[in-house]
Amino acid sequence: MSDYRKSFMSVGILCVVCSLLITTASTSLRGHQLRNMQLDRQKNLLRSVSLIDEQKQYLAEEIESIYRDNIRSFYADSDGRLLEATEETAGKLPIYLYMPEDQILAYIVPIDAQGLWGKIHGYLAIDNDGSTITGFTVYRHQETPGLGGEIERQWFQKNFEGKKIVDRDGNFVSVGIARGAVEHRVPEERQIHYVDGIGGATLTGRFLESSLKDILKEYEPVSVRFRKQMPLKTTE
Amino acid sequence: MKLTRNKTFKTFADPLWQNNPISIQVLGICSALAVTVQMNTALVMALALTFVISFSNLTVSILRNSIPGNVRIIFELSIISTLVIIADQVLQAFMYDISRQLSVFVGLIITNCIVMGRAETFAMSNKPFISFADGLGNGLGYGGVLVLVAFFRELLGSGKLFGYDIVPESFYAAGYENMGFMLLAPAAFIIIGLLVWLQKTIMNK
Repeated sequence: MSDYRKSFMSVGILCVVCSLLITTASTSLRGHQLRNMQLDRQKNLLRSVSLIDEQKQYLAEEIESIYRDNIRSFYADSDGRLLEATEETAGKLPIYLYMPEDQILAYIVPIDAQGLWGKIHGYLAIDNDGSTITGFTVYRHQETPGLGGEIERQWFQKNFEGKKIVDRDGNFVSVGIARGAVEHRVPEERQIHYVDGIGGATLTGRFLESSLKDILKEYEPVSVRFRKQMPLKTTE
Repeated sequence: MKLTRNKTFKTFADPLWQNNPISIQVLGICSALAVTVQMNTALVMALALTFVISFSNLTVSILRNSIPGNVRIIFELSIISTLVIIADQVLQAFMYDISRQLSVFVGLIITNCIVMGRAETFAMSNKPFISFADGLGNGLGYGGVLVLVAFFRELLGSGKLFGYDIVPESFYAAGYENMGFMLLAPAAFIIIGLLVWLQKTIMNK
């Protein structure tokens, strides 16, 4: 056998063996990985309404039970009315309610935003007054570590707490990301609608800002109902 | 006494101190800067690399006589990448949070000069068992430095070890503050530099 044929043969065999090994590893561990991802999503959702302590370690069962006791999943139609997850939900918006008992304390909007390099997935929680953000978290993104990747850091996410998505007259304004520190960049009367930006990540900020605006606009009918304290359920 | 004179043992022990991949050969610095903010990540990274390098050495050494010379780098890389992907998958399945923190750095083990270097210079020309020992030694030599750097960075930078508070509250009350600088990558450079200095001083005695 010539040298070339021998090289091709051995590389071919190597490729088959390596792919088999990788496939086995990835399929056999898939179940664990999916569970981890789901737990991570639940954890982030709970963080957006400050239900878990950042410093503490939680067992998987603890997360699941806190989630079960406090969070309920619904879909919102174009009038902002909530439907049970079991009803026909095509074209409806998923929404989570933080309701430990019968009273709703906050609602949580899943964020599926455009970033600079890919999608940014996370949650934005809004208080039951329909205008104050109580938390923002990110569980998956592809931004550059150290620059846009800072969106997954505490300091950036904490920034959103207490910001308003409507102005004093009740008009929808969404929440903006300043280019730098809010107190230097934004006039005082508008500071309540802006969060501090990330140095070196102007584009990530700009994309996230415009996506957040689009997403919150879609959920406006729900927010309006919260603001005016109108009934949320179709049955009421 | 006999054990320490054994050739296999020497191969294992040499990279731990005498010929340490980070402090003497100055390889693998990139990941040493990135993953040493906390003991947890440093330890897991050390274990992942040790796993990859010992088994890549072992595999390359077993196959060394049937690897055609002109495609040997491709062989080495494929074996290393396969092991790295397996390690990454296992971390994602069982240590999700840590694997999130390590992010790209587990994948980047593939490009770590130490792994490739040992496969090419040692495993290609030595028997399997001794190659495995060489991989183990180099992995632990790398990991040891990583853990040591992480120890100082986590202790001085956030007053913790493995995420547990070490510096007592009374220190903070008395005006002690964590060194924020230790959390930044340049701090690892400085600590590694000091360690190299220390080691060279001891070795020259």
